[in-house]
Amino acid sequence: MTQFLSLLLNGVSLGALYALIALGFVIIFKASEVVSFTHGSLLLLGAYTIARASDSIGFFPAVLVGLAVTALAAVLVERLIINRLRGAAVISLAIVTIGVDIIILTEMIRRIGSDILNVPHPWGGGSFRLGDVGISQNRLVAIAVAAVLIGLFFAAFKYSNWGIAMRASAEDGETAALMGIKQGQVSALAWVVAGILAAVAALFLVGSPTPGVTPAAYAVGLRAFPAAILGGLDSTGGALVGGLLIGIAEALAAGYQDQLLFLGRGFSAVVPFIVMIAVLMFRPSGLFGTKELTRV
Amino acid sequence: MTAGSPVEADVRPDIPPVEVDNVSVRFGAIKALSGVSFTVQPGTIHAVIGPNGAGKSTMFNVLSGVYKAAEGQVRFGDHRLDQMRPYKIAGIGVARAFQNIALSAGQTVAENLMLGRHHLTKAGFLAAGLRLPRATREGKVHGARVAEIAEFLELGNKLHTPVGVLSYGDQKRVEVARALCTEPRLLLLDEPVAGMNAEETHRMAEAILEIRSALGISVVLVEHDMGMVMSLADRVTVLDFGRRIADGTPAEVQADPEVIRAYLGSGDEIDPAAAAAHSSDTPGTHS
Amino acid sequence: MSESTAVAAKGATRRNGAKGSNGAGGGRSARSLIKLLLVAALLVVLLALPLYVPEFWLRTGFAVFGAIVGAIGLNLLVGTTGQLSLAHAFFLAVGAVSYVFVSGEPGGLGVADLDGLSFPPIVGMIVGVLLAGLAGLIFSPIAARLRGIYLGVASLALVFIGIHVLNAWTSVTGGFNGRTAPEFSLFGFTFGNRDPELYVIGVPFREAERLWYLGLVLALAAYLFARNILRSRPGRALQTLRDSEVAAAVMGVNVQGYKARIFLVSSMYAGLSGVMYALSIGSIAPESFGLELSILYLAMIVLGGLGSVNGAVLGAIFVSALPLVFQRYADIIPFVGGQGGGGLAAGEAARFLFGAAIILVILFEPAGLAGIANRITGRGRARARPGGGASTPPPSTDTSTTSTSPSPSDRPAQGSTT
Repeated sequence: MTQFLSLLLNGVSLGALYALIALGFVIIFKASEVVSFTHGSLLLLGAYTIARASDSIGFFPAVLVGLAVTALAAVLVERLIINRLRGAAVISLAIVTIGVDIIILTEMIRRIGSDILNVPHPWGGGSFRLGDVGISQNRLVAIAVAAVLIGLFFAAFKYSNWGIAMRASAEDGETAALMGIKQGQVSALAWVVAGILAAVAALFLVGSPTPGVTPAAYAVGLRAFPAAILGGLDSTGGALVGGLLIGIAEALAAGYQDQLLFLGRGFSAVVPFIVMIAVLMFRPSGLFGTKELTRV
Repeated sequence: MTAGSPVEADVRPDIPPVEVDNVSVRFGAIKALSGVSFTVQPGTIHAVIGPNGAGKSTMFNVLSGVYKAAEGQVRFGDHRLDQMRPYKIAGIGVARAFQNIALSAGQTVAENLMLGRHHLTKAGFLAAGLRLPRATREGKVHGARVAEIAEFLELGNKLHTPVGVLSYGDQKRVEVARALCTEPRLLLLDEPVAGMNAEETHRMAEAILEIRSALGISVVLVEHDMGMVMSLADRVTVLDFGRRIADGTPAEVQADPEVIRAYLGSGDEIDPAAAAAHSSDTPGTHS
Repeated sequence: MSESTAVAAKGATRRNGAKGSNGAGGGRSARSLIKLLLVAALLVVLLALPLYVPEFWLRTGFAVFGAIVGAIGLNLLVGTTGQLSLAHAFFLAVGAVSYVFVSGEPGGLGVADLDGLSFPPIVGMIVGVLLAGLAGLIFSPIAARLRGIYLGVASLALVFIGIHVLNAWTSVTGGFNGRTAPEFSLFGFTFGNRDPELYVIGVPFREAERLWYLGLVLALAAYLFARNILRSRPGRALQTLRDSEVAAAVMGVNVQGYKARIFLVSSMYAGLSGVMYALSIGSIAPESFGLELSILYLAMIVLGGLGSVNGAVLGAIFVSALPLVFQRYADIIPFVGGQGGGGLAAGEAARFLFGAAIILVILFEPAGLAGIANRITGRGRARARPGGGASTPPPSTDTSTTSTSPSPSDRPAQGSTT
């Protein structure tokens, strides 16, 4: 039982981080109709920048630099490429983000090489225990930070001008434009927010129990895609639920891997994808995604 | 012969009436159609009109199976259109021309029209990929018929032009031609002259009458051009806010006080009475 | 009077002078003659190449043929039908593994105990294609129901699940270390260095030469099959459902059925490509079939031209050959250094270039290399980008207001038809 609770807690923490990434994924989709495959490499970029910058300027300034660099990269993608392709086919937009992803990822792998970069988290690599239920301190801080950010995000999404503008243009772009909402700004801001969320997630994903920044962080970022899809690509609430679901499923599979050994070692890494397929089989638009009106 | 009443002998015997029976459609909390009923008699031109947002396009989407009706039935002979998927509906001879052109811009006119032959042909991946003789033969036979229909809609010399480079009026005609290529028993035309100039509108109206008299099929027309509706249609159903407010001959509908109120009250520029008067001078007005 | 003659007769009277169709027809036949000659010349060159070209390039050629088959298959799905898939590497893996398992010998290699069915290689190849198709078929109910973009992400799952299975199912795949691929042979004729020894005008025909011809035949068959599909009924249905699913459905196309079937066809292409990959490398390893391979294939079809079979061929050649060219001419090409030479490694340089090229193509030349080639050869057919149904300008209300054509005397009023 305690093992189960530990795993659950770890799953919630992992899921909260996935949810951060997935939220960015979803708002980009809502604001620019783009499925951004750049997210995995943005995450890596954030982690790398934080790790490198902490050597010289210390942890907290480095985090700020990391957030800024990732957000900047994201908004550059939006301004220089996506913005020019307004109205293009969704699939072309997705492919163009893959192009960006290849470039950033190649550069990251080139710079990191086979090193493992360490991020000196001030909360250290220790773990926190409540009775027999344990979690790494890093992941505990992650839960707190993610909860605050997710709360802020939903508040902003609901009440801020940006959130209202964004929901309006996702609902009906033409009308929103007529009402004076500048879609370009809404879209650019969405990318900034998504970049920051990804970098925050990266900050925690490369901490304990993970050894540090390696190109493998990219694959971790990819596991947030199922979170966004199974929640429903256009549903922020779905991203949160999807993130938690996937995080918990992955943590449980990792925890009980001895019992699951017949499925192969490292099975937990594919659990998010299996959960996604299972959901899509019954709900092609995800759990909370807008269903197609038309029948074909 | 007059456009007002179809000559009985011209109506193909295998064309049943379309019975729309108490159909409602909901999008979330919004009711796009509520309890709409009307009947399209075989071989007639039946217009569905109404101010913007009245539910005309929704009605078309129900007829062609794209939207599911929350309540009610749509019968076409023994078939329940409200329970069938669009491609099956096409298979029993219901064709539709889209209002906002839904052609493949990169394909030629001939290729777009050949799509209309889809349910009449069989070649699958294997037969087509290996160019089996039956696939080649099928393509030739149906290509000839497609060329005929293209001629009929004055597209004969544009068969090998990509649709994307055609003029707007030509593209509208390709839409109608593609629907005809399915050899329909019921033809659904969604605003076939929207955005056309007077000359083009006139030619399209002629073509529609010709289709009805030559093929003896039923035509359901959604149209904003009042002059055209009043001169072409045998019967008119008027929708407003998703409800049927009138149903009758053009003359009856024009005199209906509720119809006049709906058009005047909605601020829509089209006033059927005025438009009908107008239509004696010019072929039509545009929304 | 039958309906068709009525319509035809009417059409004849309405026809307004066909403008210059004769002239265009003459030009077309002259151009098609030139095209025919060019194709024939190309074929002769391809057939004669093994007599003159060193082994390295022939081996590269076989790898490229394999890539061409895979790229054509992916382009049918992504370019023609508008269904984004990142699962292509998975289906290549199914083909490759099936081949090495069905035609491989059982035995122990290092730590792993390998199973194998020892069937003739041609059986392995066919089973590879069929099993890849079967894998596609199993996934196709999902693929058919998802919108193109959902499929893009959902298909990621297959790649990761595939890698996991490859690593875990050691007895079949050889696990982490992979396993060797059996030599291909056909009715006793091996595509190896011996059995039989073979010379053609004094040139020894060994494995590289023989595989070259095998690749040429397979790629040509794959090419023609795809071309034929695109030019006939199923191809038109696929292109229309890419542009508008609703329009396709209303015109009688079973949209879900076609999405499922093209997924099947595409995965069978990938299966064959996977078998050829195994033959080309001589072995398989799980790490070869990762997301990176899927993305490479995507790069091929985007750079070559989405929806174009010729484009898939050009893209496959470009993407597979570029790293090799970089490797070979690293000293000459700026910024590209050899091992530890400070510059970029050849693979990295190629990846940067692919990434940038994808972005530039989507931004400036959506028709890709095929589009550029068409423009050079003057076949400037306005191919729209995928989903280009929307590229037609919306009906401008101007047309009705600005047109000043006089009212025709016979308006479509009562009784105007004859």
